[in-house]
Amino acid sequence: MTDATPERDTVAIDSMAHDIYKQLTEGGNMLDVPFKTMKDVFMWAVCLGAQQGQKMPLTGKRISIFRWAQFDPQIDVPLLKAIAIAESGDVSILLRRNDILNIIEEYANAGIYELRARIFDEFGQPLWNLVSMVP
Amino acid sequence: MKLERITLENFRQYFGRQRLDFAKDKQHRVTVIHGVNGAGKTSLFLAINWCLYGEGVSNVGELISKEAIKLASSGENVEMSVELSFTHDGERYLVKRSRHGTKMFDGSIQVNSADEFIVMRILWDGQAQTIKNPIGTINAILPSNIRSYFLFDGEKIDGFAKPEAAKEVKEAIYLVFKLETLDRARGHLETAASDYRKELKTATSGELRGLLDEDEKAREELKRKEDRKAEIGIELDVARRKVADIEQRLREIQNVRFLQQQRDRIEQDLKVRRAELEDVQNQIRDITTTSYFTLVQPVIGRALHLLDEKRERGEIPSNIRRQFVEDLIAEMRCICGRPFTDGSPEHLRLLRIIDNTLPGALEDEVLDISATLRTFNGRAHRQRDDLTIHMKRRAELVDLIKDLDAEADDIGRRLKDSPLEEVSRLELQRQSFLADIDRYNTDTGSLARDIDSLKERISQLEKRIGQARKNEKKEKLLGIKFDLAQRAADAIKDMYQTYADDMRLRIEAKTKEIFKLLIWKDSHFQDVRLSPDFDLEVIDRYGRPARPELSAGERQVLSLSFITAMSRISEEEAPLVMDTPFGRLSSQPRNNITKFLPDLADQLVLLVTDEELRDQARANLEPRIGREYRLQFDSKTSCTRIEEVR
Amino acid sequence: MLKERLTQLFTLYDPTIQTLISEVLMLEQAHISMKRPHLKEQIDQIISRLANKELDQVDKNSDGSRSLFG
Repeated sequence: MTDATPERDTVAIDSMAHDIYKQLTEGGNMLDVPFKTMKDVFMWAVCLGAQQGQKMPLTGKRISIFRWAQFDPQIDVPLLKAIAIAESGDVSILLRRNDILNIIEEYANAGIYELRARIFDEFGQPLWNLVSMVP
Repeated sequence: MKLERITLENFRQYFGRQRLDFAKDKQHRVTVIHGVNGAGKTSLFLAINWCLYGEGVSNVGELISKEAIKLASSGENVEMSVELSFTHDGERYLVKRSRHGTKMFDGSIQVNSADEFIVMRILWDGQAQTIKNPIGTINAILPSNIRSYFLFDGEKIDGFAKPEAAKEVKEAIYLVFKLETLDRARGHLETAASDYRKELKTATSGELRGLLDEDEKAREELKRKEDRKAEIGIELDVARRKVADIEQRLREIQNVRFLQQQRDRIEQDLKVRRAELEDVQNQIRDITTTSYFTLVQPVIGRALHLLDEKRERGEIPSNIRRQFVEDLIAEMRCICGRPFTDGSPEHLRLLRIIDNTLPGALEDEVLDISATLRTFNGRAHRQRDDLTIHMKRRAELVDLIKDLDAEADDIGRRLKDSPLEEVSRLELQRQSFLADIDRYNTDTGSLARDIDSLKERISQLEKRIGQARKNEKKEKLLGIKFDLAQRAADAIKDMYQTYADDMRLRIEAKTKEIFKLLIWKDSHFQDVRLSPDFDLEVIDRYGRPARPELSAGERQVLSLSFITAMSRISEEEAPLVMDTPFGRLSSQPRNNITKFLPDLADQLVLLVTDEELRDQARANLEPRIGREYRLQFDSKTSCTRIEEVR
Repeated sequence: MLKERLTQLFTLYDPTIQTLISEVLMLEQAHISMKRPHLKEQIDQIISRLANKELDQVDKNSDGSRSLFG
């Protein structure tokens, strides 16, 4: 593939969403702050976005939050690729890492707000709110 | 600078190569060059200026000798140059400026590009060494901006004595005594000081102190909270011990021993259950946070559909990998394991498979991912089941714990209601201590949070303090820079004034000395003054300014006195070259001046007409003349020839 | 004679000022044949250098600002 831009290997979020990521991971109590890693937050955000079919382009400052290598190769990577294939309708997207990243970043950028609302804005402790989201 | 020789080649009316040597020893230091008007005195004067500075020659027409041009044939090169040799500070120099032209068909001359200018140092063994910075060198010897005070045009001789000449007098002093350097230095330092002052105004100050105060307060609060937390810790221990003591006591009392022991067992059980609950919740958290893939089963389904489609279209073999096939071919073995030969049907079939497949990378990806995605469904089920089991267990534990708590409460009530006064009292105390313990735990928790946030705030403050410290240092430095620049500028201003005054007074004294020497109406004039406004004034014996009444000659003498005074005081070693200096003087002043003039300069070159230098004037100069020339003008060729007289 | 007179006047001032003045004068003299030389940066460098020395001297002499850092 003659891709002019070099293949990225970092995943970015919109700087405006950074606070939500922190809110969901920083703190002591697991009942109030359910997530251990930002990677899990990100995966939830992508899946929520994909589930609802909602994408949002990153318009603010981009923050590189972690590297592609931090995704679980057995679960996360195939999942993200599947989402990219379903969205683009094009199997050859498998060979274009940058395009995959763009799609999942935009899903995550929409999903993160939904995630925050469902976890914190609902009645009940955050962990149980999260549990209730598993179908 | 002491002139040695000038060589002219085709310079104006000096056709061909002609040269002239200057008198330069102590006694015989005067060179006299005679010529009628138009003979070439001014051209010679111009030649010296042009050679050294390339200046003074605008509006004088063509410099290249007309005769040389005339005699040249079409297309022939004509060369013009002026060469000057001189000594300065013990070194010998040779300066040459030249110009080339080509004669055109129409008889005119086409000058080639720029003039060439070389300055060479002549070493002791006669070798010539070219100097890299010719202009700078000449300017270091006799700066271009003061040359007109030494290479002196006689027409301007009374210039400094004119009433309106104050400005020129001031400028002459300014230039000759290098006051310009001081002036520029002061100007630049003032500008620097002003810039620093502007910068200082915009700098922030007081920020550092504010931050340090905030930091101090935050640390004080931190300490207070940490102390309080420690205090509560102690109180907590005390309360716990008290509770333990009470429970021990209860165990000792016959009637209620069994109740307390029961409670002990319940507490133990509760501990275990609570730990288990914590554990289960941890697992629930871990399962849940990794259950995101369960949300997107439909999406996975769609992706699989697309992948299968791709495969079904025959673009990708369903279960054979390219790499596998390549490996088989390399080993010359069939899928079933049997070896085959080159060109055999099995071989060809394998090759065909390779030809029909897509590039390896995509194919492998598709196969990999399809296989993995198919497992997600099962995974999702298992995840959900897992979660359900754990949630159920959690619910059970919560109920269990609730029941145990209820049992413990019940025991407590029975103890409280005990008819034994001691038991009842002990239990009440116990419960009160437990309430305290709860409160202490809550307080400790909130203090811990406050402490964390204070520590974070202190860390931020410290970053800002570090930055403010840097800024303050910058500010301090700026303040010092301003102070230094301003003080230096002021110092120069003061020095300049004193120094300039000094110069003025010295020049005044010297001018007076020379004036008295040269003027013939000696007793009529009492004083020469150079005012702070740079007015050159002569005071008569009645104490009045005499300038309005000065004759042309007297003015010229005053002017000349000023110039020679400057030349003496400035310590510039320079020749006085004067072009028709006596032209407008009557005989008396002329005679007087010629008597003393040779001693007023290290070297004197006079370009004169015959009328200027006659009789007594001539006789006065005679003992000091070292070289004498006559400029012979040929009206037929319009050329001048330099003739040596002495 | 002239130089001596200048030097005389000079020594009335503080050594740092003397250094500053003499360095700037040397700079100016070297560029005297230029009509309007651009010496701002060079002069700033000279002043900064001397100012930094002064600042270090002051810091050494003072007892240092109060420090709350452990």
